[in-house]
Amino acid sequence: MFVGAVFFPLLGATISGFFGRWIGSRAAQWSSVGCMVLAAVCGALAFAEVAMDSRPATVGLGTWIDVGGFELAWALRYDTLAAVMVAMVTLISTLIHLYSVGYMSHDATPPRFFAYLSLFTFMMLMLVTADNLAQLFFGWEGVGLASYLLIGYWYDRDSANAAAMKAFIVNRVGDFFFMLGVALVFLTFDSIDFSEIFAAVPQHTGDTFLGLNSIELIGVLLFLGACGKSAQLGLHTWLPDAMEGPTPVSALIHAATMVTAGVFLVCRMSPLMEFAPNALTLVTFVGASTALFAATIGCVQNDIKRIIAYSTCSQLGYMFFAAGVGAYQVAMFHLFTHAFFKALLFLGAGSVIHAMSDEQDIRRMGGIWSKIPVTYAVMWIGSLALAGIPFFAGYYSKDAILEAAFAAHSLVGGYAFICGILAAFLTAFYSWRLLILTFHGEPRADEHTMGHIHESPVVMLAPLLLLAVGAVLAGYLFYDFFVGEHEHAFWAGSIVNAAHNHIMHDMHEVPAWVPLAPTVVAVLGIALAYFLYMVAPGLPARLAAAVPALYRFLLNKWYFDELYDRIFVGPARRLAAVFWKIGDVRIIDGMPNGAASLAAGASRGAVRIQTGRVANYAFAMIIGLVFFVSLFMLGLR
Amino acid sequence: MITAFAFYAFAAVLIASAAMVVTSRNPVHSVLFLILAFFNAAALFLIAGAEFLAMILVIVYVGAVAVLFLFVVMMLDVDFTRMREGFQRYAPLGAVVGAILFLELAFVIGAWTFAGDAEELRLSPMPAGGVSNAEAIGRILYTDYVYLFQAAGLVLLVAMIGAIVLTLRERPGTRRQDIAAQIGRAGTVNLRAVPSGAGLASLGIERPPSPEEERRPAPVAVGHDGHGGGHH
Amino acid sequence: MSWTLALPEIVLAVAGLAILAGGVLPKRDTFFPASMAVVGALLLTAVLVIGQEEGTAFGGQYVSDSFSSFMKLLTILGGALGLLLALDWNEKEGLGRFEFSVLVLYATLGGMVMVSANDLMTTYLGLELLSLPLYVVAAFNRDDARSSEAGLKYFVLGALASGLLLYGASLIYGFAGSTNFDRLAEALSAGQQASPGLVVGIVFVIAALAFKVSAVPFHMWTPDVYEGAPTPVTAFFAMAPKVAAIALLARVLLGPFGDVAAQWQQIMLLVSMGSMVLGAFAAIGQRNIKRLMAYSSIGHVGYALMGVAVASDEGLRGLLVYMAIYILMNVGTFAVIVAMRRGGRAVEQVDDLAGLGRTDPGTAMWMAVFMFSMAGIPPLAGFFGKLYVFLAAVQGGFWVLATVGVLTSVVSAYYYLRIVKVMYFDQGVGALDRAPASLSVVMAGTGLFNLLFILWPAPILAAAGAAAAALLA
Repeated sequence: MFVGAVFFPLLGATISGFFGRWIGSRAAQWSSVGCMVLAAVCGALAFAEVAMDSRPATVGLGTWIDVGGFELAWALRYDTLAAVMVAMVTLISTLIHLYSVGYMSHDATPPRFFAYLSLFTFMMLMLVTADNLAQLFFGWEGVGLASYLLIGYWYDRDSANAAAMKAFIVNRVGDFFFMLGVALVFLTFDSIDFSEIFAAVPQHTGDTFLGLNSIELIGVLLFLGACGKSAQLGLHTWLPDAMEGPTPVSALIHAATMVTAGVFLVCRMSPLMEFAPNALTLVTFVGASTALFAATIGCVQNDIKRIIAYSTCSQLGYMFFAAGVGAYQVAMFHLFTHAFFKALLFLGAGSVIHAMSDEQDIRRMGGIWSKIPVTYAVMWIGSLALAGIPFFAGYYSKDAILEAAFAAHSLVGGYAFICGILAAFLTAFYSWRLLILTFHGEPRADEHTMGHIHESPVVMLAPLLLLAVGAVLAGYLFYDFFVGEHEHAFWAGSIVNAAHNHIMHDMHEVPAWVPLAPTVVAVLGIALAYFLYMVAPGLPARLAAAVPALYRFLLNKWYFDELYDRIFVGPARRLAAVFWKIGDVRIIDGMPNGAASLAAGASRGAVRIQTGRVANYAFAMIIGLVFFVSLFMLGLR
Repeated sequence: MITAFAFYAFAAVLIASAAMVVTSRNPVHSVLFLILAFFNAAALFLIAGAEFLAMILVIVYVGAVAVLFLFVVMMLDVDFTRMREGFQRYAPLGAVVGAILFLELAFVIGAWTFAGDAEELRLSPMPAGGVSNAEAIGRILYTDYVYLFQAAGLVLLVAMIGAIVLTLRERPGTRRQDIAAQIGRAGTVNLRAVPSGAGLASLGIERPPSPEEERRPAPVAVGHDGHGGGHH
Repeated sequence: MSWTLALPEIVLAVAGLAILAGGVLPKRDTFFPASMAVVGALLLTAVLVIGQEEGTAFGGQYVSDSFSSFMKLLTILGGALGLLLALDWNEKEGLGRFEFSVLVLYATLGGMVMVSANDLMTTYLGLELLSLPLYVVAAFNRDDARSSEAGLKYFVLGALASGLLLYGASLIYGFAGSTNFDRLAEALSAGQQASPGLVVGIVFVIAALAFKVSAVPFHMWTPDVYEGAPTPVTAFFAMAPKVAAIALLARVLLGPFGDVAAQWQQIMLLVSMGSMVLGAFAAIGQRNIKRLMAYSSIGHVGYALMGVAVASDEGLRGLLVYMAIYILMNVGTFAVIVAMRRGGRAVEQVDDLAGLGRTDPGTAMWMAVFMFSMAGIPPLAGFFGKLYVFLAAVQGGFWVLATVGVLTSVVSAYYYLRIVKVMYFDQGVGALDRAPASLSVVMAGTGLFNLLFILWPAPILAAAGAAAAALLA
C-alpha cells in the first residue's frame, strides 16, 4: 500500500511512455488513469492508517549511496504530513488524469502527455515521502523536470519553449540555494536524514558558519529554495508564464501540487525552523508581501489562466506567512483546501477555454453562463471557496491563517495580517471580475465561436463535480483534525511546535472581529466587482484611464520581468558577449583548437610508431623495460 | 678444482654458442649451435648434481625440440637475408640499449644481497639418505606441486588443441577409411567354384555390390550379371 | 592440503575435458551445444566461486579470498559474455568449431588460476594457460591473413613477455629464496634494505604483466591484434585477460611487494599516465572501430592502473569498481560492433555506423549509452568508475596523476562522442543487418546496467570494498 501509492504512477508513466506506441493511444491513457486510481486508493488507505489511526511508518527500499561515512537509503517516510500530501496528490492527480482524457482528446500525442503527467505524480510523491534531503531533492528536481516537459509540451510553440526554459532557469536559482542549504545541513549535522537532523537540532543551536548562526542560515537557504519552487516574491516570474502548458498541467502542477512543495518543505523542516526565528520572520514577510503583491496584479490581468495563476501565487503567500508565524498546521490546512478549489478553478477555466475554442482572453468572452451551466456552477463554487465565503473550504483555512497572523502579536505578524486582509479583499474582487467578465454581460466573442460553445464531455465534468464537492466540504470536514481540537493527535509529532510557540492555542482566542473581517472584506470585494462590471461596465476603463501609471504598473506585473531584464539578464548578456567574443572565441576556443591540432599531431605521431613489424614492437618493449630499470637505478642513488 | 675448471669451461662454451645462435648467418648453423648450447647446459646441470634434469634436457630439447627445429628450418625456404634488412638500421640503437641493460644487470649482480632467511627458505633441498635425483623430484612433483603439474598439463592440452585447430583441414573431397562400414558390408568376398578352363570372357567380371545396392532388398545372387553394380 | 578449496577451477577443468570429448564424437556441427555447455560450466563455476571459502591450498600456491572471488567472477563474466558474442558471428563467418568454446573455457580457467595465484610459479602457469588459447583464438580465422598475423604477432611478443616474467621471477627467487607470496612478504618486511636485484626483478614482472594488460610501453601489439583477430575474440581480449592480469598485478604489487611500494610506485605512475595519454591521443585518428577500441582499452587500463599506482585501500577499491564497470560497458560496445554487418558481410569502419540512429534506433541508442559511459559522462556507470579512481588519486595526493586522468578523459570523450555523432548526424550508406537476438539481449542487459548503476551502486561498491580490504589486510 505504502509502496503502491508511490510507484503505481511510475508504472503508469512507464506503460504510457515506453509502450504507448504499441498499445495505442486509448489504452495508454486508460492504463495510466487506472494506475492513478490504484495509487489514489493506496493513498487514501495510507491516509486512513497513518493520519487517522496515528500509525506512522517508514518503508525502506534499499541502500542508495554508501560512501565512506555517508549513507543514504531509499525510503518512504509516512507520517501524517506525508500521508496528507500523498492522499491529496494522488486524489487530485487522478481526477486530473481523468479530466485530461477529455481535454487532450484532440491532441496528437496523448500517451506522451500522460507519461509526463504520471511521471510528475511519481516525482511529487517521492518528494513528499522522502526520508532524507537527498531523496527529497531527487523528487524536487524530478518535479522540476516534469514541469519543464509539460510546460513545453507543445514544443512547436516558441512561447511554450521560452516559458518552459524560464520556469526551469528560475527554479534553478532557487535550487542553488536549496543545495547550499542541504550542504550546510550536512556540514552541521553530519547527516541529511530527517530523523537524525531533527533529533540533533537542539544540540546545534549555537553553531555558527561564517559568523552566522548555522540553523538560521539553513532556514534562510532552504526557504530561498522553497521560494523558487513556490513562486514567492522575487522568484515568482516563471509561474504566470508556465500557463503556456495544457490546462490540466496548470491545475495539477502549478496550482495544486508542485508549487506547494516549498510550503511542504518549510513544514517538513519545522523542527529546525522553530529554532530559526529570524528565518521565520523572513518567511512571514516574503509570504505576506507575495500575497498582497500577486493579488494586485491579478486584478487587472485579462488572460483567464494568468488571473488564476496570480491567485495561486497569492494563496501560496498566505501559506508561507502562516508557516512563518509558526502555524505550520494552518499552512498545511490551507495547502490542502487550496488544492481542491484551485484545481477546480483551473479545470473550470480549462472547460471554458475548451468551450470557447481555445480562447483565453476574458475580454472576448461573456454571456455564456447559460450555455455551459455546469462549468458556470463549479466556477462559482471555486470562487466562493477561494474568496473565503463562510462554510466553503477556503473560509476555514483562510480564517485560520489570518487568526494565526493576528495571534502572533509581532510586528511582522501584524504586517502579515494587514496584507492578508487586503489580499482577501482583492481576491474576492478579481474572482468576481473573472466570473462576471467570463460568463455575464454581452457576448464579446465572434459568432463562429459562440456557435460552437458546448458543455464539456462527462469525463471532464465528473472530476469537476468531485472537486466541487471537495471545495465545499474539505474545510468543514477536516477543520478539527488539521487545526481544531484533534490537531495534536492528528499530526502526531510530524510537525513540531517548539515549547515557546503557543500559536496553535492563541489563534483560537482572538477578538471576535478578527474571524469576521475576511468575510466582510470578501463580501465588499464581491460587491465592488459587481458594481464595476455588472452595474457600471464602463467605469473600469475610465478608472484605468484616470490613473494610467498605476494601471500599467499593475498590468505589467510591477515591471518585475523588465527589472530582471535590466538587472540580471541584460548585464548577463553583455558579460556573456564579452566572455564569448574574448574569453570563448579567442581564449577558450583558441585553447581547444590549438589543443585539437596538437592532439591530432600527437595522434599521428602515436600512430606512426605503430609500424606493424613485430621486431619493432619487441624492441619498443625492451626499450620500455630498460627505461624503467634505468629510472630505478637513477632513483637508487 | 677440476669441478671449477669444468664449470667455467662449459659455461664459456655455453655463452659463446648462445651468442652464435643469434649472430650466425645460416639458420642451420644457428640450430646446430643451439644444440651445442643445450649440451653444455646439460653438463652444467650434471656438475650441479642434477642428473635427471641434465638427461631430460638432452632427451627432450636436443632429441626432440632442436631436431624438429632443424627439420623446419631446412624444409622451409625462408629468405633470411631479407628478414635481416632492418637489422643494420637498428643495430646501433639496439647495441646502445643492450649495453645499458647489460651494465645495469651487471650492477645488479654486483650489488647482490640476499634476504635474511633466504637460506632456510630455499625450496625443497635434496633429501638426505641416498634418494636419487629422479625419485626426489617425483616425490614432490605429484604431491606438493600437483596443482602446478596439472596446470602445466592443461597448458600442453591447450597447445595441442591449438595446433590441431589451426592446422587440421577437412577437405570435402577426401575419402576416409570407414572400417565399420567395410566390415559390415556383405557379399564383398564370394567363393565360387569355377570350371577349369573358363576365362573372363565366359564368366564375366564379378564385382561387389555397391553400397547403394546393398541398401535395397538384396537381389538374388548376381551370378552372371556381367555389369555388376555401379551402373545406375 | 585442502584441495577442495580449488573446486571451481577443478570443476571447470574437468568440464572442459568433458566438453572436448563430447565435441569430438558426433559428426555434426557441435559449436552451439558446446558453447552452451561452456556457458553452463562457467555459470556453475561462478556459483562455486561465490560459495568458495577463504584460505590457501596446495602448500600456499593457491589462495582464495574475497579479492580473488570478485576478480574471478569478473573473469568468468568476461569469458561467458565473450562466448555469447561469438555465437552468431562464428556461425556466419564459418568459424563455428567447438574447439573455440573449449579454448575460451581454458583461457578463462587460466585467468582464474592467475587471480588465485599465491606463488610466482602459479602465476606463470596461469599466465601461460591464459595466453596459449588466446594465441590460438586470435588466429582462429586461419584463412584470413590478418587473423593469422594477429595470432602470430601476439604469440611472438607474448613469448617475449613470458621470458621477462620468468627472468624477473628468477631474480626475485634469487633474493628471497622462495617464490611464495607469503614468504616473499615475510622476507621483505624484515625491514632490511631491498636488494637492487629484487627491484629489477619486480620491474621485469611488471613489464610482463603490463604486456598482458596492454599498458604503455608494452602495448604495441594491441592495435594490430585487436584489428586482426575475429571481432568476438577481440571482445574477449579486452575482458578476461585484462581482468586477470590486473588482478595479478594488484596482488603481486600490493601483497608481497607492498612494503617496497616506494620502489615500484614511480613505474606504475608512469605506466598509468602513459597509457591514459596514448589511449586518448592515438585513438583520435582511427577509422577502424576495432583499432579504436584497442586504443580505448589502453586508455581504460591506464585509469584502472591508477588504482594500483596510488597503492591505497581506496585506490584498490576504485580499481575493482572500474574493472567491473569496464567489463560491462566494453561487452556492450563489442556487442554492437559484432552486430555490424551489411549484406551478410562484417564491416568495421566507424563510418559504417553512419545513419544508424535512423535505420536501427535501438542499437544506436545502446551504442550511444556505451559511448557516453566510456567517455565518463554522468550519470552513467563509466562516470563512477572514473570517479572512484580519481578520488583515490586525489586522496593519495597524486595530483599530477589525477589531472592527467581528467585531461585525457576529456580528450578521449572526443572520439567516443564522434561515434555518437556519426550514428545520428551523418548520412548513411545503407542500413546494417538486423542484430541477432543474442546480441540484442547482451546490449540491452549491459546498457541497462550502465544506465541504472547510479540507482543501485551499493552491491558492487560493497563487494569491491570487501575485496580491497581482503587484499590489503
